[in-house]
Amino acid sequence: MKILLVDDEKKFASMLAKRLELRGIKVDYFFEATNAIQEVENGKKYDVAILDVKMPGMGGIELRRKLSRMDSDLKFIFLTGHGSNVDYKTGVSEASYYLPKPLKINDLIETLYLVAPEKTT
Amino acid sequence: MKQSTDLLKYESLAFFGKVNASISHELKNIMAIISETAGLLGDMADMASTGNPVSPEALKTYTGSVIEEIQRGFTTIRQMNRFSHSVDTPIAEINLTELIELVINLTGYLSFSGKAHVHNCDAGKPLVKTCPFILQSLVYQALVTHYKNGGPGIETTISVCSQDQNIWRIIFSEMSQGNQIFPDDISQEMAKSIDVKIVSNAGRLELDVPVSIKGAHSQEVGLF
Repeated sequence: MKILLVDDEKKFASMLAKRLELRGIKVDYFFEATNAIQEVENGKKYDVAILDVKMPGMGGIELRRKLSRMDSDLKFIFLTGHGSNVDYKTGVSEASYYLPKPLKINDLIETLYLVAPEKTT
Repeated sequence: MKQSTDLLKYESLAFFGKVNASISHELKNIMAIISETAGLLGDMADMASTGNPVSPEALKTYTGSVIEEIQRGFTTIRQMNRFSHSVDTPIAEINLTELIELVINLTGYLSFSGKAHVHNCDAGKPLVKTCPFILQSLVYQALVTHYKNGGPGIETTISVCSQDQNIWRIIFSEMSQGNQIFPDDISQEMAKSIDVKIVSNAGRLELDVPVSIKGAHSQEVGLF
């Protein structure tokens, strides 16, 4: 399984990527939406994109719309530190899978298999 | 008058809520980093217990990262504490520079925040007797407007300059222009309630803060 992870919290993104990689999941991570778009524009293929909802500049919701247009097969999981109902509703309406921070790694891995069941590590 | 007072109370509560939401978001991010780092350390312990080599340097780096995040958490909680206590006394003598620095730190937790610095034009301490909570709210709204209009990465300097012995002027010299407007009607009302005069002209915003709030107003400014 190949993951695109985008989160402006640099340490969070790098730690999460390392933990997923230890479990055999390949991860490319970026701290800004524009860099992730560039990577997909350059032809890089991913199975699932894990996106932080709130980021400076372009947030996860807008990023999802752009990435979907570039790769219609790409699946999405949203992450957020915000626990508000508005954010939750927006997240759920934009992607079926929405995980609050702090994460439990096993919950994330279960969700990855739910989102892309055909992919095995 | 009552309607206007109710609106002020509502806006004050809304401001309190907004700031607390942004702080809780920051704390959640900190907890998320600590959680992932602790998880990674646990993963490394599992690796070691099955005979896989674990780098002592990596252990040191990850432990250091947890300590850094705990310090970041303490700093955030200190800001939250100072902000929460700003409603303790409706009228208090405050240092404008310190108030602006606190507001800069609080707006720093917003996802769209830019960078701001405070500059004192004069050597003396800019002390004023006012309602710190309302003044914080005004400076916060002004900065949020600037960040929203200016977009990511925008920087600004806020100057505090003495005008005469009765007035300190807070100057945003390069306010970005856009859809967001400051001051709106409610900000004008809030400013009026603490005798602050707002002048906005061609990208320059000035808040004239009296050294001491008028006696009559000081009796009225009770928020909650």
